[in-house]
Amino acid sequence: MAISMAYCTSSSTAATSPLVRYSPCNSTISTRLTFFPLPFRSNRRRSIRIATASLPAVNSPSTSSSGSQKNLLLEVKDLTAVIAESRQEILKGVNLVVNEGEVHAIMGKNGSGKSTFAKVLVGHPDYEITGGSIQFKGSDLLEMEPEERSLAGLFMSFQSPVEIPGVSNIDFLNMAYNARRRQLGLAELGPIEFYAYIFPKLDLVNMKTDFLNRNVNEGFSGGERKRNEILQLAVLGAEMAILDEIDSGLDVDALRDVAKAVNGLLTPKNSVLMITHYLRLLEFIEPSCIHIMEDGKIVKTGDISIAKLLEEEGYKAISTA
Amino acid sequence: MATFTFTPHIGRLPTPPSHSFPTTSSKRKLKFNSVATTTRASLQTSPPTLSDPFVLQLAETLEDSLPSSSSPFPLHKLRESSSESLLSTPWPSRRDEPFRFTDVSFIKQSQIHPISNPPQSSDLSSIPLETQFTNVVIVDGHFVKSVSNLTELPNGVYVGSLIDLPSESIAKRVSDFVDRKFVGDLFWAINGVGAPDLTVVYVPAGCKVENPIHLRYFSIHGGEEGSNELAISNPRVLVMVENGGEIEIIEEFLSGDQGRSYWANPVLDVVIGSEGRVKHSYIQNQSLNAAHIKWTSVQQESTSAYELVEISTGGRLSRHNVHIQQLGPETTTELSTLHLSVGNQTQDLHSSLVLDHPRGYSRQLHKCIVANPQGQAVFDGNVKVNRYAQQTDAGQLTRSLLLEPRATVNVKPNLQIIADDVKCSHGAAISDLEETQLFYFQARGIDLKTARKALIFSFGSEVIERLPSSSVRKRVEHHIKELLNPTLETSPH
Repeated sequence: MAISMAYCTSSSTAATSPLVRYSPCNSTISTRLTFFPLPFRSNRRRSIRIATASLPAVNSPSTSSSGSQKNLLLEVKDLTAVIAESRQEILKGVNLVVNEGEVHAIMGKNGSGKSTFAKVLVGHPDYEITGGSIQFKGSDLLEMEPEERSLAGLFMSFQSPVEIPGVSNIDFLNMAYNARRRQLGLAELGPIEFYAYIFPKLDLVNMKTDFLNRNVNEGFSGGERKRNEILQLAVLGAEMAILDEIDSGLDVDALRDVAKAVNGLLTPKNSVLMITHYLRLLEFIEPSCIHIMEDGKIVKTGDISIAKLLEEEGYKAISTA
Repeated sequence: MATFTFTPHIGRLPTPPSHSFPTTSSKRKLKFNSVATTTRASLQTSPPTLSDPFVLQLAETLEDSLPSSSSPFPLHKLRESSSESLLSTPWPSRRDEPFRFTDVSFIKQSQIHPISNPPQSSDLSSIPLETQFTNVVIVDGHFVKSVSNLTELPNGVYVGSLIDLPSESIAKRVSDFVDRKFVGDLFWAINGVGAPDLTVVYVPAGCKVENPIHLRYFSIHGGEEGSNELAISNPRVLVMVENGGEIEIIEEFLSGDQGRSYWANPVLDVVIGSEGRVKHSYIQNQSLNAAHIKWTSVQQESTSAYELVEISTGGRLSRHNVHIQQLGPETTTELSTLHLSVGNQTQDLHSSLVLDHPRGYSRQLHKCIVANPQGQAVFDGNVKVNRYAQQTDAGQLTRSLLLEPRATVNVKPNLQIIADDVKCSHGAAISDLEETQLFYFQARGIDLKTARKALIFSFGSEVIERLPSSSVRKRVEHHIKELLNPTLETSPH
């Protein structure tokens, strides 16, 4: 399939005007939140190399006509990476293909490289790529700075989100949201308008408004931090959401909330890549594909039955060694 | 060596007739520098104490610049004792511990001239009038009633010059206080010699002053940018709060015209009676070519509370000496300071808290941001928990942000604890912005420049938030954002 056609999708409007926007900025969200990539070709290529991600929009035009052909979102080929400081090799040739609308899961033993893979995808400075390629929506991801990747539609929910004392949640989200709006040439939202926009989304992650005035992750429990990550996902939108162990540290109820929120954000046009150890999460958010990572490589791909086997018999049942 | 503009008395002290003994008689016909003569005469019989010629000349110049008055002037004794101490105090050098990291030599190398005359109305035209709140305007060290706004003071509260104090008893109390023996440092003594008057803020017992009182200090005179001249001013203020009184004081130091070079040498005395409360905000925004050396001396009776929030961003050399003496148990002392060096500046805080009574509570937070390779910040936080200060709860924390290579910070938190039943802690951290936090911003689409700006500002906002007055807070936030912005645009990050 033609990789570079990923953003020149089947939507008929793409050909007409480059500035057609599907997400009216001032319309707040309907009950069902979707994040939907704007299928227009950005003319402003000089600054960002690929079409920008959308903001969460109200409706998804059903003009995704040729539903039969899944469009390629992420393609990772023979990726190798090391820890920048120690030069220790962690990823030893990862291959992965994720299409639009798919939910993938990566499982594997501790130390197999799952989190590293996720961090490498978002451009964490601790790691250095030594070989291979990553194409996201048809563009070379490795050429992009972390903020550019985020603006392109790649979101990662961190395993241990860092605290930022002194910066409140709402200010942080406002900054990130305005970065996207600037990207799209839309006017930035001031604090009051932004609050109106974000307020309905709090229900999604079952958080109260006072949380917005607290500093980012400061004094948050594990569950609160994870829910904060999902809130950010809901507010900012993404075509590809990487959830790094979103279930760790969550009790059953919190997990249910988070899973419900993620499911609510899924559309035929965006994808999710989950990293987890346990079957439990996969029962809430159903993957179409499960990969097993071992020693820096993806060694097996299958469906939910693999996870069940893993649960019963452990990794040696699946290990290729 | 500095040169002085008043030449007649250099090297020659007037020799008064018949004085050969070192008494300090109140009947004085000559100016008080005759004391210098007498004590000098007497010193020659005892082992000679070296007087620093530069300091002597400076003292003489200041003395000469003040109008002589035949009747005893309220500050007479202060001037005498300060003059005396100047005889034996040398100009500080880098070998003196309190000035080890603070280079005051450029003051010595400049031409210092005092601002002898109270400001003329032509000078005052540039001062913005504030009619909304009670404010005291002090220009070049002189209290200027005409542009101050002293209406709407509660009953019994006095704000004005010492000379105009209506009540004799209060005037006596003030005088007695001013004449006490306090050994500050050289700069304290210089103010003692050169202060033209004393502005008094008096709060009677039990009186809670609702609206803050602003003390606005302007420096109008000064050398042109690039010149070697320093105009010295010595404003002196005393805040006396009787038992149970409460007041909020906001001090702001501004220069009329950015870029002028001058030396502001202010002193603020705060006396807090038992159960009194004083909130003190101190904003320093002096010209970038100015030297600013301030003393804040506080005395707290039992169960009193003193809260200081300082934001210092200006000055080429800015030093704040804070001395707090506890005079009774169960006091509360909270100090929060933010120092910002965006240019070739030195911001210095030397604080000293002396606890001699039990169950005192104190917290000190000092934050400094140095955003220039030639910028510097100095902190020396001393807390003495003496023998009878049992069950003291004292905490001190200093955090510094170094944003440029070669930016320097020297911190010396020090607690001297003699009592044995106390809870004391201190911590110091010096760092650049945290990588993990910056990456988190980036991973959400926020570029590095914006992320740095947000994190730097949030570092400072912890102190800015503590300013009690919201209008002052907004102004300070705005000013700090402006200061940090151009820096970031030129930084290579």
